[in-house]
Amino acid sequence: METTIQKNGNQVVALFKGRLDTAAAVTTAEEVKPLMEAANSEIILDCSQLEYISSSGLRIFLSIRKEAAAHGSKVIVRNISADIRQVFMMTGFISLFEIQ
Amino acid sequence: MSKSSKMSIRSKSGFWILLVAAALLESIACIQYFTSRAAIRREACTRARTELRAAELEINVHTAEMEAAAKMLAAMAEYHIEEPEMMYGMTRILLNTLSNVESAGIAFIPDYYPECGHWFEVCSSRAADAPGGIYTRQIGGPEHDYFRAEWFHNGLSIDSAWWCEPYLDDAGAQTMVVSCSYPVHSREGKVVAVVCIDLSLSKLTKVSEYLQVFKDSYYSIRSSTGADLVQRPDTTPGRKYLTFDEEIDATGWHMSIIIPEDILYADLKKLGMLITILMFLGLALLVFIMYRAGMNMQRLITVNTQKERMENELEIAQTIQNAMLPKVFPPFLDCKDLNIYGSVKPAKEIGGDLYDFYIRHEKLFFCIGDVSGKGVPAALIMATTRSLFRTITSHEEEAAAIMRQINDAMSENNEQNMFVTLFLGVLDLNTGVLEYCNAGHNAPVLLPSDRSVKEVEVLPNLPLGVMSGFTFTAQKTKMQPDDVLFLYTDGLTEAENIRHELFGEERMNGVLAAAKGEELGPRNLVMKMQEAVTAYVGEAQQSDDLTMLAVRYQRPAIVMRNDIQQIPTLSEWIEGLDIPKELNMPVNLALEEAVTNVMLYAYPGQRDGKVFVEYAENHNEHEKTLVFTISDCGVPFDPTQAPEADISLSAEERAIGGLGIHLVRQLMDEIRYERVEEKNVLTLVKRIER
Repeated sequence: METTIQKNGNQVVALFKGRLDTAAAVTTAEEVKPLMEAANSEIILDCSQLEYISSSGLRIFLSIRKEAAAHGSKVIVRNISADIRQVFMMTGFISLFEIQ
Repeated sequence: MSKSSKMSIRSKSGFWILLVAAALLESIACIQYFTSRAAIRREACTRARTELRAAELEINVHTAEMEAAAKMLAAMAEYHIEEPEMMYGMTRILLNTLSNVESAGIAFIPDYYPECGHWFEVCSSRAADAPGGIYTRQIGGPEHDYFRAEWFHNGLSIDSAWWCEPYLDDAGAQTMVVSCSYPVHSREGKVVAVVCIDLSLSKLTKVSEYLQVFKDSYYSIRSSTGADLVQRPDTTPGRKYLTFDEEIDATGWHMSIIIPEDILYADLKKLGMLITILMFLGLALLVFIMYRAGMNMQRLITVNTQKERMENELEIAQTIQNAMLPKVFPPFLDCKDLNIYGSVKPAKEIGGDLYDFYIRHEKLFFCIGDVSGKGVPAALIMATTRSLFRTITSHEEEAAAIMRQINDAMSENNEQNMFVTLFLGVLDLNTGVLEYCNAGHNAPVLLPSDRSVKEVEVLPNLPLGVMSGFTFTAQKTKMQPDDVLFLYTDGLTEAENIRHELFGEERMNGVLAAAKGEELGPRNLVMKMQEAVTAYVGEAQQSDDLTMLAVRYQRPAIVMRNDIQQIPTLSEWIEGLDIPKELNMPVNLALEEAVTNVMLYAYPGQRDGKVFVEYAENHNEHEKTLVFTISDCGVPFDPTQAPEADISLSAEERAIGGLGIHLVRQLMDEIRYERVEEKNVLTLVKRIER
C-alpha cells in the first residue's frame, strides 16, 4: 500500500495505490496526517489505483472527512472502482462523500 | 438321493461285510481244524509207537524170563534124567522161584521110564489149597493125553524155545495160558521130553495197560496164527479207526493199538463246536455293532448336514453383516472435506462390532459400537443397533436425542440383557463442530494437527439397552482442519499375545503418535494399527472382534497468528480458493473484518493466540453455498451481538468503529456464532443462486 500526497495550492490530492486492509491501515493512518491539517482546502482522495478497502481504511476516510469539516475543507473521492463503490454503498459512505 | 435308497445301500454294504466276515471266520476255523487234526494224528502216531515199543519191551521181558525158565528146567531135567522122581522137585522149585510162571511141567515121550507108565508128565501148578500154594503131581494119562498136544509135538520137533497158541490149561492152572516149550535131551542127545512153562494171559493183561493210549481206545495182542492173547476189541459197526501194529520178533506175536477216529478227534470236535458257536456269537455282535454304527452314522450325517447348513447360513449372515458396513473407500468422492476409513475384523464368522457413517445435510453421522457377547446373538443386536442408528439419524440431528431414542428402542423387551457400548458423533462438515455422545464406549483418540495425541473427554453415560428412559448427555468439540479422530473397540486394546498380555492403550497411543505425513490418512492409520496389533498378537488366536474407524477432517484452511500484520496472508489464501471471481472482494472483506474482530477482542493483551479460517463448499440443485468458519481459542466473544450500525447518520454523528461487523452482515447471507469447548466458532455463509 502506497499513499502519495500532492499539494497544488488550494487542492490537496492523496493518491492511494494498492490494498488498504487492516494491516496497511496502520501506516496509512500516519501517512494521511498532513491531510487532516489542511484548512480551507479541497481534499481529493484519488482512488483510481485503490484495489481494496476494509473498514480500517473506511475509518481513515471518515477521520479525514471529520477533520476536513472541522477545518473548513471539502473532501472529494475520485475514481472509485465498482467494488469500492459497493462497499461505500453498504456503509452509507456514498452519502458522506462527494464522489466524482 | 432319497432316504430309502441310502438305507438299501447301507444294508447292502452291511450284508457284504457280514458275508466277508463269515467267510473269513469260517476259513480261519477250517485252517485251525485241519491243522489241529493233523497235529493230533501225528501226536497219536508218536504216542502209539512209543507205547507199542514199551509194551514190546515188557512182553519181551516176560517171554525172555519164561524162555530162560524153560531152558533152565530143561537143563536141570537133562542133569537128572536118570532120576524121574527128581522131576517133581524141580518143577516145584521153579514155580517157587519164579512168581510169573503159572505152571511148569516136564512131559516125557511115551514109555521113557518104564516104571512110570506109558504117560509121564510131571507138573507143578499154583493152587491156593495145596501145601505151599503149589500142587505137584503126575498128570499124564488117557484123560490127559499130552502126546497129541501141539506144544508137545512142536517141542519135540523144534530144537529151541517155542511158544504155542493160547489154550485152556485143563490140567494145570485151569486158565487161559500160553506156553513156552523146550526140548529135553537124553545123554545120547535124543529129545526125550518137553519142558512146558505156562504163562497166564492175565500177566499179559497187565502189559496191555501200555496199549490203552486213550481212555476209550482199543488194542489187541495176537499170536502168530491170529489167536487173541489179550484184547479189548470194539464191537461198534461202521466206525473208522486208526490202527498201529507191531510185531514181536521173539514170539511172533502181533500187537495193535486201535484208536477210533471219533475218540481221537473228540476234543477237536468239541473245540470246533465251540469255535462255531463263538463265530456265530461274533457275527451276531458284528450285526449289532453295524446296526448301532449305522444309527450313529445316520445321526452323524444328520448332525453334519445341520452343521453344513448352519455354516452356510453363517456365511450368508457374514455377507449380510459385511454389507451393512460401509466398505467403499473413500466413501464421499464429492466431499473433499472429509476422509474416513473403517474396518471390522470379527473373531468368529459374524461379530457384534459395528461402525457406520453417512452424510446428511452437511453433517456426518458416525458411530462405532461393541455388542456384549459374541456370535449370532451379538450379530443380531449389532444389526438392530445399526438399523436404529440409520433410522433415527434420518430425522434427528442431536447426538443426545439420537442416543436416547436408540436406547429406548433397545431397552424394550431386552430379555437377554444384551447391551451395546456406542460412541456416536455428528460432525458438522461446515464448521468442524463435532457433537458426540458416548454410551460407555472406549473414548476415541484425537490427533490434532499439532501432532499430539489426546483422548477425547467423554461423560459416563450408560451403555445402550441397560435402562430405558436414561438421559444421555452430549458433548461438543471443534475439530480443526487435518485433525484425525481415531475410534476403536476394546478388541484393539485388549488384543492378547500368546502370553496373554494386552496390547493396551499405551501401545495404541504410541502407534498413533508415531504416525507422520501420509500415515495420518485414515486408511493408512487403520492399516498401520492393524499391522501393529497383528505383529503384537503373533500366533495367538483373536479373542474378540476388532473394529477401527478413523475420521480426518480436512478442509482448505488458514491458521494465523494473533497479529493484524497477518491479514495480507488471508487475501492470498482466498485467491487460492475455487470461488467465483466476483465474490473475491466481498469474501475477502467479510473475512478480514471478522478476523480483525477476533484479533482485537478475543485475545486481549496477548499476541500468541491463533485464528483458524476454514472453507467449505456445499451444493444443491438451487444454490451453491460457501461456508467460512473462523475459530479461536480466546475469551468468549460473540460479534453477532454487536448493535447494528446506523449508516444513515451524518459524518459528524457517526462513530469511528462498528463498521466491521456491519460489513460482514452486509456481505454475507448468514452469520452464526457458537461457543464450542473453549472455542469461539463464527460461521459465515454466502449463497450463490444457480
